[in-house]
Amino acid sequence: MLEVRDLCKSFGGLDVTKKVSFALEPGERRVVLGPNGAGKTTLFNLLVGELLPTSGDILINGASVTALSVDQRAMAGMSRSYQKNNLFEDFTVRENLALAAAAGLSKEKWIARDSFHDPEVREIVLDVANQVALTDILDAPVHSASYGNRRQLEVGLALATRPKILLMDEPTSGVGPGMIGAFNKLISDLPRDLTVVIIEHDLDLAFDVADRITVLNYGDVVFEGTPDETRGNQIVRDIYLGDWQADA
Amino acid sequence: MFHQTPARSFTLAVVLAALVAYATFGGFFAREIVIEIAILAILAISLDFVAGFGGMVSLFHGAVMGLSAYGYSVLTAKFGIHPIPAAFAGIFLAASFGAAVAAIASRTSGIFFIMATLAFGQMLYTIIFKSRWLGGDDGMGGIPRFDASWIGLDFNDSLQFAIFAVFGIAVCYGIAALLLRSAFGRTMCGIHGNEPRMRALGVSTWKHKTAAFAISSAIAGVAGVFAAQHTQYISPELLFWTVSGEVLIVVILGGLGTLVGPVLGAAIFVLLKHEVGNYTDHWHIVVGLLLIVTVMAGGRGIYGQAEHWITGRSRKARESLNA
Ligand SMILES: Nc1ncnc2c1ncn2[C@@H]1O[C@H](COP(=O)(O)OP(=O)(O)OP(=O)(O)O)[C@@H](O)[C@H]1O
Ligand SMILES: [Mg+2]
Repeated sequence: MLEVRDLCKSFGGLDVTKKVSFALEPGERRVVLGPNGAGKTTLFNLLVGELLPTSGDILINGASVTALSVDQRAMAGMSRSYQKNNLFEDFTVRENLALAAAAGLSKEKWIARDSFHDPEVREIVLDVANQVALTDILDAPVHSASYGNRRQLEVGLALATRPKILLMDEPTSGVGPGMIGAFNKLISDLPRDLTVVIIEHDLDLAFDVADRITVLNYGDVVFEGTPDETRGNQIVRDIYLGDWQADA
Repeated sequence: MFHQTPARSFTLAVVLAALVAYATFGGFFAREIVIEIAILAILAISLDFVAGFGGMVSLFHGAVMGLSAYGYSVLTAKFGIHPIPAAFAGIFLAASFGAAVAAIASRTSGIFFIMATLAFGQMLYTIIFKSRWLGGDDGMGGIPRFDASWIGLDFNDSLQFAIFAVFGIAVCYGIAALLLRSAFGRTMCGIHGNEPRMRALGVSTWKHKTAAFAISSAIAGVAGVFAAQHTQYISPELLFWTVSGEVLIVVILGGLGTLVGPVLGAAIFVLLKHEVGNYTDHWHIVVGLLLIVTVMAGGRGIYGQAEHWITGRSRKARESLNA
């Protein structure tokens, strides 16, 4: 589904992504782990085209998308959420979701009809609002919403384009345990054919939702395996020392 | 996001009715003023469309209007082509030029975008200014108005032409409002709000911005056709950058991103110019002071400020009812 071959990225002299390779099966849930500054967000930026790699190749269903622009890759089925909220602050939650839904349906260019009143767009808006638990504040302006709600909307925007590959960058950062549980449920309720990559710091959540786990450290893939293999791996223990020894 | 609120519809209706009344009862000079207001208002609508809702502030809308005026004038006065197809050709020319400039300038943003539009506008001005075939700085005359005798109207009559120009405001406003309420307009507002995110959602933002500019330029082209027919004589002055600067002031004065504000702004601007101009040549100072006051008051413009007060007060009233 999504394949990365020998992907490299350097900023000046700093190598942030070093020959990263992996392949995701359709419908796979992959969690990317790694300490701060490991290059996780940079990897996402490379995948969606917000950064261009120094070398290497990115493929969707066997076809290279490395030369495609951000919007073309989105049209090819990739969608992401951001580590730092990246929303349409002045619009309502509903308007945010409708913009994304219309773009996902390629209805954003209509000049004679209003996408906000399109039945398909409305259906997606209500569906996604339900998924990310924002139904009650659909008509609130985003800038007045709580941090937690904005975090939910961040994921909602990525879902509303109805992607084939969903990339989520620390969706639970800065939220409480209640929301982590709700998020866990959201992931398990996603359609099984949706391929998902999640950057996550919460290890319980990671082990719970992942089919496979990739561990990045200083731009290198230092480990890849199932959650069980990850728990027992010494390199991973060294990097994440102490973090989950208690409950392992 | 654009909303055609009842307050906006009401304001538009009042301004248009006042213009028709002024033209009807005010004599020849009033009609000239109404036509001048109509041309500026249409140009202001076209600028607000991209600047207020798309976040693309331009300094070449005067040049685009002038290009359409020249297109119409050359085709009618030099080649004897029927005014109706000539008007469409002029508008199409304006839209094409706007699209070409935007395709280049849309890759930049902020001040670079403004500078790029200024440069292209001035380039066009210089070309026309230097062209002897187009009359150079003398301009060209003998430009006909539409022949509307087939519906029993005579646009050489100043009242009928003035009312036709006010009708032009209504049509251009209607087109702009419909487009802003379409998926296309929603997306344009989204690009203004957060362009990188819009791109990440799968929208080719520069293509969208280019299309938005083509539409805006077509509306500016309508103003150009009216301008050429109004004086039946045109000169390169129409394309000079100060015209673009003036309409930008009108938009800000009336209320950037309110669509009806710029129409009101155009009326106030032209009336001030003539009323204050009766007493002093320094009417610009009065406009400048008014602009400073509106910017200091929050930058919402005259209509935008009024809307802000009214919605603020009605919210307070609702809250005290609930309390
Ligand atoms: N545009 C840039 N220019 C220069 N250096 C950058 C740039 N973006 C990221 N870096 C550097 O690359 C490294 C990896 O950053 P990245 O944001 O990918 O890490 P991360 O794994 O997402 O970390 P975190 O867990 O803190 O989000 C860091 O050292 C960062 O300073
Ligand atoms: Mg990160």
